[in-house]
Amino acid sequence: MTVTCLGCGCGCDDLTVLVRDGRIVELSPPCPVARQWFGDGTVPAEIQVEGRTASIEQAIEKAAALLSGARRPAVLIAPDLTTQAQRIAIAAADLLRAEVDGATSEAAAAGLLAAQRRGRSAATLGEIRNRADVILFWAVDPRERYPRYLERYAPAQGLHVQNRATLSVSIGADRGPAGVELAAEFGPAEESDALAVMVATVRGQRLGELPAALRPAVALAERMMKGRYIAIVHDAEPGREARDVQRAEGVVALAQALNDGARSALSSLRAGGNRSGAEAALTWQTGYPMRVSYREGAPAYEAATSGLSRALAADAVLVAGSAAALGDPAIPLDRIPAVVIGPAASAVKGAKVAIDTGVAGIHEPGIGYRMDDVPLPLTPVLPTPRGAAETLMRLLGALRAGAGRKAP
Amino acid sequence: MSKPTRLRIVGGAVHDPAHDVDGEIRDVCIEDGRIVATLPDGVPTLDAGGMVVMPGGVDIHAHFASSTCNHARRLIPDEHAGDRAPAPALLEGEARSGTGGTVPSTFTTGYRYAGLGYTTAFDAAVAPLLARHSHSELDDTPCVDGGIFVLMGNDEYLLRQIEAGERDRAKDYAAWLLGATGGYAVKIVNPGGIEAWKSGQRNATGLDEPISGRNVTPRAILETLTDAANQLGLPHPVHIHCNNLGVAGNVATTLASMETLAGRRSHFTHLQFHSYGGEPGKTWSSAAAAVMEYVNAHAEVSVDVGQVMFGPAMTITADAPVEYLLHKSSGRRWTNIDIELETGCGIVPLTYKDKAAVSALQWVVGLELFLLSQDPWRVVLSTDHPNGGSFLSYPALIQLLMDRTVRDDRLKQINQRHLAGSALADGLAREYTLNEIAIITRAGPARLLGLRSKGHLGVGADADVTVYAREADIAKMFSTPRYVVKGGSLIVEEGQLRRAPAGQRLRLAPGYDQAIERDLRRHFEAHSTVAFEHYPVRDLPGAAVEIGRAG
Repeated sequence: MTVTCLGCGCGCDDLTVLVRDGRIVELSPPCPVARQWFGDGTVPAEIQVEGRTASIEQAIEKAAALLSGARRPAVLIAPDLTTQAQRIAIAAADLLRAEVDGATSEAAAAGLLAAQRRGRSAATLGEIRNRADVILFWAVDPRERYPRYLERYAPAQGLHVQNRATLSVSIGADRGPAGVELAAEFGPAEESDALAVMVATVRGQRLGELPAALRPAVALAERMMKGRYIAIVHDAEPGREARDVQRAEGVVALAQALNDGARSALSSLRAGGNRSGAEAALTWQTGYPMRVSYREGAPAYEAATSGLSRALAADAVLVAGSAAALGDPAIPLDRIPAVVIGPAASAVKGAKVAIDTGVAGIHEPGIGYRMDDVPLPLTPVLPTPRGAAETLMRLLGALRAGAGRKAP
Repeated sequence: MSKPTRLRIVGGAVHDPAHDVDGEIRDVCIEDGRIVATLPDGVPTLDAGGMVVMPGGVDIHAHFASSTCNHARRLIPDEHAGDRAPAPALLEGEARSGTGGTVPSTFTTGYRYAGLGYTTAFDAAVAPLLARHSHSELDDTPCVDGGIFVLMGNDEYLLRQIEAGERDRAKDYAAWLLGATGGYAVKIVNPGGIEAWKSGQRNATGLDEPISGRNVTPRAILETLTDAANQLGLPHPVHIHCNNLGVAGNVATTLASMETLAGRRSHFTHLQFHSYGGEPGKTWSSAAAAVMEYVNAHAEVSVDVGQVMFGPAMTITADAPVEYLLHKSSGRRWTNIDIELETGCGIVPLTYKDKAAVSALQWVVGLELFLLSQDPWRVVLSTDHPNGGSFLSYPALIQLLMDRTVRDDRLKQINQRHLAGSALADGLAREYTLNEIAIITRAGPARLLGLRSKGHLGVGADADVTVYAREADIAKMFSTPRYVVKGGSLIVEEGQLRRAPAGQRLRLAPGYDQAIERDLRRHFEAHSTVAFEHYPVRDLPGAAVEIGRAG
């Protein structure tokens, strides 16, 4: 039986892991991201209240008291939880009338918001693998942060494609792959304009005289239009260059426009840790993929402000998942009364309550989502020090028993 | 009242058409979640005097628990903001807040179904690859027993078997796929047309049109899967969304599809969207009469209507080429997701306006299908939620069927452009009776789904019961049942949701020739991005119904 890796959003489910004496000693096929994410599989197994070792009963009681006593609590769904555990964390937020958010980056949020405004044309990764005869890498070389994307989802040939053309765009320091059929480069300030020119070209609109810097966009669009099924691969996570928020809308619009003459799909590269799962569960439970507030007794969308930044205004916060992977910059959890339940929770300095759990897919079974919203089974390779879903359920039970639903 | 294990519903006018009970005043006895013949004196009672008692509603075709629905939810933050749903005040069970709109959040979906007196519902289009997601959503959809119909008919493996003439293997594949996905029925959407959309052919418009240059046609897909479902003895026949949905003149395709399957048990879904006369790009007209003439004469055919109701809707379907055309014609937001080796997904939010000529025609066509039906057991109620309108519009639809005055008044207000020659415009006097409503909303769909313990109030049936207070306003009566009992638990009291039990999962495990797994494994290893052993959904609640397993 192979296992699934949540190290990045690729969700490769073909890994073989060798465990010896309770440690992961070998991983194949080799992948630097997987190697880092799995590590040797050891995680701390402590329970702490105010920095001191405590029983699980004491920790849950303290956590429930702290959260239910807060006037303005927040729940942050950090990476490395199964979707089952994420759902329980959202239930706690509902009960607490809390703000709740996942680990959706600002860049990824821009993509989600663009898709809300326009819709989007996308595909699961296998469709790109088996169908795309033209792939444009927009300001990303997947080999850097998504090492096996090319091997698994864009190999030289697929079921319905014998010859795949690769195109590349670089935006400042965010470089597309080299050695491709056609490459272009734009400055960060030109990115949105370049996308607009490509959309206009695809739609057959008259463009007039273009600045020299934007002319390669026309050639790119014209090459793309020769394809039968065109995939546009972009990194939805933050890159080296600061990004215009209109950029996300631009790539969505380009992929949609290409469908008038051919077929086209946008592939948005996403980080791992089951971030996509958190967005999926939030959506089905609240109607919104991120940045939800239960303060008024029902979900409200506060799309303009990230939950991570709003957490700074909270008077108590529940972090469910790997706190260390939560945000960039990291949230100063020593400044907010914090309950942390997740992998390496005890490493969070200043946490009022810390309960270490296992990592989804390494120690815990459940479901994790790939970057293309395909849910995959997670098969643990090591025993968990304490189940995250089980622990969160215990907290939820204590919250229900103690405070019930908060009054408006 | 606390949750009783025994309950006697006293003095209501019972409509239980499966047992030829039509408004008879009698008691309904419940014990341990089932209907029983009698109960001793002294058990808790529920006074239903002067009220109407029916089995719990059964929704044969809706879209409410799928990855597609979740993509749709993301498209409508404005609708959700306008329809916030605080947590209900429950006496027992987890109370969750949510949002509504045309695609409500999951908990709200369950609560709202219960609030209508519906206790069973099926999501009618789930991509096999994403079945795991649907089951997670169903886990969070309380109050209704439910399941999923699994999309087939555009999947690479199946097309290969048809092309190779391997019909037995196609049957084994359908059985394996139902078991692997925790599915309940085989669903065909636009046979071959989605694969055509993905391959660059754009769509399949004729039953004998080769798909993507292969020796496979929509007709062969229809025949293969219909035979597979029937040979496997599935409780529900193949559930068919025909080619050419929403296109003027598509009645020819619909009738040709029905004739292809003549003599074979089959269910044609949201028939309203497939019953148009006229000519693409030129004229529109109703072809409901022609379609119903065929349906009335063929007992092996069943349908649900897919009524359009005026107001906001969300079109969500695996029929991705249709959604592309809708996007281009409406200019509305459009989401398309191609799903590897299997199917597709398209989403466009839409509003049906009574002053818009095509919307008005669609409204008329749906009503004609109902009113020209001679056998309500085979022509059941749906709006293809949320495609034709929300399931919350069922009471208004029931009113249109039961009250000719309301219907005719509404008819006068709508755009008449395409209504010339329509049966409804010419005058249809029929008014559905309460018993007929009980048939098209619970007894009929339950029977068509092969749910032996649902849709009726006979001894041994699931104790899913809805009690309506009589109202002159029929829409009001059906929108606010006084009591709802789910699995023996009184979940709606005095019109208020008071309990929200988890629903049961309805799924199958048909038998198949195990040898197919070797071939499937090779196929997965060559082409799939998901490992064969990771594909099946495991650890689902409840036990699957095993069908046709050897030994």
